[in-house]
Amino acid sequence: MEKSGAPSLMRPFMRRITQPLSRDKSDTLLLLATCVLVLAPHAGHLPAWIVAACSAILLWRGWVTFRGHRMPSRNLLVPIAVLTMAAVYWHYKTIFGREAGVAMLVLLLTFKLLEMHARRDLFVVLFLGFFLVLASFFYSQSIGAALMTIAATVAILTTQLSFQYTGVVPPFAQRLRLGAFILLLAAPLTLVLFLLFPRIQGPLWGMPVDAQSARTGLSDNMSPGAISRLAQSDDIAFRAKFVDPPPPKSRLYWRGPVLGSYNGRTWTPLQVRLKTNRPIVIKSHGTPLRYQVTLEPSNQRWLFALELPQTPPVLRDNASAFGPNLELLASSPINERVRYDAASVLDFELQPQESATALRLWLDLPQGFNPRTRELAATLRKRSSDNAEMVNAVLRFFREEKFRYTLEPPVLGTHAVDEFLFDTRAGFCEHYSSAFVVLMRAMGIPARVVTGYQGGEINPADGYMTIRQSDAHAWAEVWLANRGWVRVDPTAAVSPARIEMNLTSVIPRRTLGGLITLDAGQNSWLAKWQALRQNWDAVTNAWNQWVLNYTPDKQRSLIQSLGFDSADWRTLTGLLAVAASIVLAIVVLPLMWNRPQFDPVEAVYRTLCRRMARLGCARLAHEGPRAWRDRLSASDSPLAPERRAAVARFLDSYERARYGTMSKDASAVVSNLKSLLAECR
Amino acid sequence: MLSALEHQFRKRASKWLMRSREVEPGEVFLHQRRVYIMPTHPGLMFCVMLFVLFIGAINYNISLGFGFTFLLAACALIDMHLTFRNLAHLSLSAGRAAPVFAGEDAQFELHLINRRKHGRYAIWLDFVGEGLPNVDQAADVAALSTHSVVLSTPARQRGWLAAPRVRLQTRFPLGLLRAWSYWQPDARVLVYPQPEENAPPLPLSEAEKKDGQGQAGQDDFAGIRNYQAGDSLKRLAWRQIAKLDVDLGGALVTKYFEGGAAVEFALDFDRLPNRLDQELKLSRMTRWVIEAEARGVPYAFRLGDTVLTAALGPAHREACLHALAMYPET
Repeated sequence: MEKSGAPSLMRPFMRRITQPLSRDKSDTLLLLATCVLVLAPHAGHLPAWIVAACSAILLWRGWVTFRGHRMPSRNLLVPIAVLTMAAVYWHYKTIFGREAGVAMLVLLLTFKLLEMHARRDLFVVLFLGFFLVLASFFYSQSIGAALMTIAATVAILTTQLSFQYTGVVPPFAQRLRLGAFILLLAAPLTLVLFLLFPRIQGPLWGMPVDAQSARTGLSDNMSPGAISRLAQSDDIAFRAKFVDPPPPKSRLYWRGPVLGSYNGRTWTPLQVRLKTNRPIVIKSHGTPLRYQVTLEPSNQRWLFALELPQTPPVLRDNASAFGPNLELLASSPINERVRYDAASVLDFELQPQESATALRLWLDLPQGFNPRTRELAATLRKRSSDNAEMVNAVLRFFREEKFRYTLEPPVLGTHAVDEFLFDTRAGFCEHYSSAFVVLMRAMGIPARVVTGYQGGEINPADGYMTIRQSDAHAWAEVWLANRGWVRVDPTAAVSPARIEMNLTSVIPRRTLGGLITLDAGQNSWLAKWQALRQNWDAVTNAWNQWVLNYTPDKQRSLIQSLGFDSADWRTLTGLLAVAASIVLAIVVLPLMWNRPQFDPVEAVYRTLCRRMARLGCARLAHEGPRAWRDRLSASDSPLAPERRAAVARFLDSYERARYGTMSKDASAVVSNLKSLLAECR
Repeated sequence: MLSALEHQFRKRASKWLMRSREVEPGEVFLHQRRVYIMPTHPGLMFCVMLFVLFIGAINYNISLGFGFTFLLAACALIDMHLTFRNLAHLSLSAGRAAPVFAGEDAQFELHLINRRKHGRYAIWLDFVGEGLPNVDQAADVAALSTHSVVLSTPARQRGWLAAPRVRLQTRFPLGLLRAWSYWQPDARVLVYPQPEENAPPLPLSEAEKKDGQGQAGQDDFAGIRNYQAGDSLKRLAWRQIAKLDVDLGGALVTKYFEGGAAVEFALDFDRLPNRLDQELKLSRMTRWVIEAEARGVPYAFRLGDTVLTAALGPAHREACLHALAMYPET
């Protein structure tokens, strides 16, 4: 009886794929697989239609190979290629620049696969592949990306060498091993080149406009939800390595954008500048605290430092300066990870003397908003005229009324501050700081919102403090006579734990929409998970510090730590040459050192052969030991008579050992031969 | 223009490399100093690509890009070493080479002896020299083993033909570099004169006329004797062979003839018409030797100092052809 139709249809197909492929086919399929591996990392960022087009072309190529069909003619291929290139232009509005360039490269590689005829074309495909591997670093340089690159490189090498065989083609596993072996041998030299090759800092020409895409991070305005959205992100904002002992958590205020302008909904930086050259007066107390910050790219100009940095940090190729309100600003957006040294004083007086005109700017409130808040301010104002006392009164109000700290506050209407202060009473740092500043201003106290990060977590694995986006925070500054701008954190009044501990321990971490609440304290599973995460963070940080952030500066400090005074290119080149030679020697010499292994009897015989050759009595190629012995012991032999006898004895023993019955004691035979050999000298 | 320049350079370089032409007897060891290595065209392209990758890494400040570029550069260096190792320290020796007629291809057997523990792949061999066709042979030599390759070269002139210079080259494993070496094998082939095409028939009638008898030594069946190497298969006494049981010690037997032996059929160089060119005469003699062998007619042979009595068989044939190839002996 006939079975169902599908398997019988499948049978020819199965037969085709199970039978061994011809050499050409298997090589081409390997090349296709390699191309897929190279192209895969680009699928994430390319527009869907390019991904679809490339997949279609790859499938087409696979089908052509598999069925042994002819390649499509150029008359068909060229119009398709031109059309897709035009589509790229239409999509990006340019064919230059990075995004469009990568798209072009991807299409070029796939089309080239359909137009491969000569061996030269193989190299074109593989070299395009190398470019695409480099291009994938535009999008990610993580450890995962590096591993992917290694896999792709091994694949490319394996493909490249597979095409080189002429007769015997070893099985795929063996070829793969050879590919990996080449990479493995290349690794030490790569390391030396990476560390010692004189580095030049780019860019060599202008960066294309589309070089950066949006990233998460603090922005220069604060509207409801801005920070609570950030607080749910685990992304790392920056890391800090303390030279001096780190301060307690409650003092870790990483100052960022200062917001002074309020439109009833959104806080933005104060646009009006009176006199920008007005000096900022800081009275510092105590010794500065030194640390180093490694800032992740944010596409913003903000630099973060503990309150208050003494001088703007020095960045390579990107000048930085204090903004008018003592925020740190780089001259161009931070598009790549930067590192800078900073020193901050935690006890200070900021602008203790300030002109009334300058202060008036920090009192501005939009008209027609929040009448109840204004009313409350007026009531409080009546009680005292001392500003410091008023601050405390408001903080007490926050603490004693039933305010609640939550990441998921109710939605607020037009009079946001009113609704928050009197109705919902649930919110996040942005609500507290905003309401506090509005209250202050309503009472005539100059006040402003400061955003930044609060806290940080020391990773026990490597001692780096990690500051995540979830540490984003907003607080307030009020100006008090003779004390200058004073930091007030109204959130601390409501939820002191937020400041003392970590955000994650204050807000129960919810997953699955709050169905499961993870409690860090009690769950050892979670503790383990956190330890794991910390270790992974440490690894990533080391990767960032040593691989991704290996700048000319870092190179210089490495050279200096090796004990060289100057780290100019001459030292580097010399050091590189020496180190590379040593590494190459270590890698290559063992490969050269694989002399054939002779069994001991043969080895002794060969020694004699060499010795006799030096004496001009070399064994002829066709001569066996007996014929040789006869020749050497003949009367016309050039050997001295006493040597003749010794050589004859040796050759007799050798002949017995080699062609006679097997002796039981092989080592005795060898030692006997050796002693006979000694007589032959 | 560039390719012309490159051509010039190659010509010069090969001239320089070819300067020593001495035959190397016995087994030849490809010492590392006689293995040369240069990048191939894809190898040069690879260098340019590395440079572009490096510039890209600098411009976009891609740290991993530096790492990747360096990794590829290091891979190319390792490839250089592996390519070199694929050829260097190979032992070579020439094998047998059978004589051929002029106009045929001389076949030289060459042995590649690998005494290392790594296999060698894709070694291309060819003969180099003026006017030689470029025919490559690829060979793989497994670890600790020997591989034989037969290379052929046209044999144009009779006499000894020494094996042309052999070029060994390899691009394995990555094809970015080419390692090559030259070897003058200690091998030669005897080239017999080219057999004349459409030659006149064997001059049997000449002998017939003189003696008034039939074919020399073929007339009277005189009995059988044991087969000897060189006996024509046409003379095997099949009837007798069929009677004998080979298992009981029976052997091949040949019929032999008597009578007419005095009138031997001879191939005599001097009897050929004088108007003929010497090479043509040699060519005709060659053809006749082949034909006499094929027809099983014993023949005497006279050429200069070489005088051979009538006989048949490979040894006789070889002696005759040898004399023809080497005439006049120097």
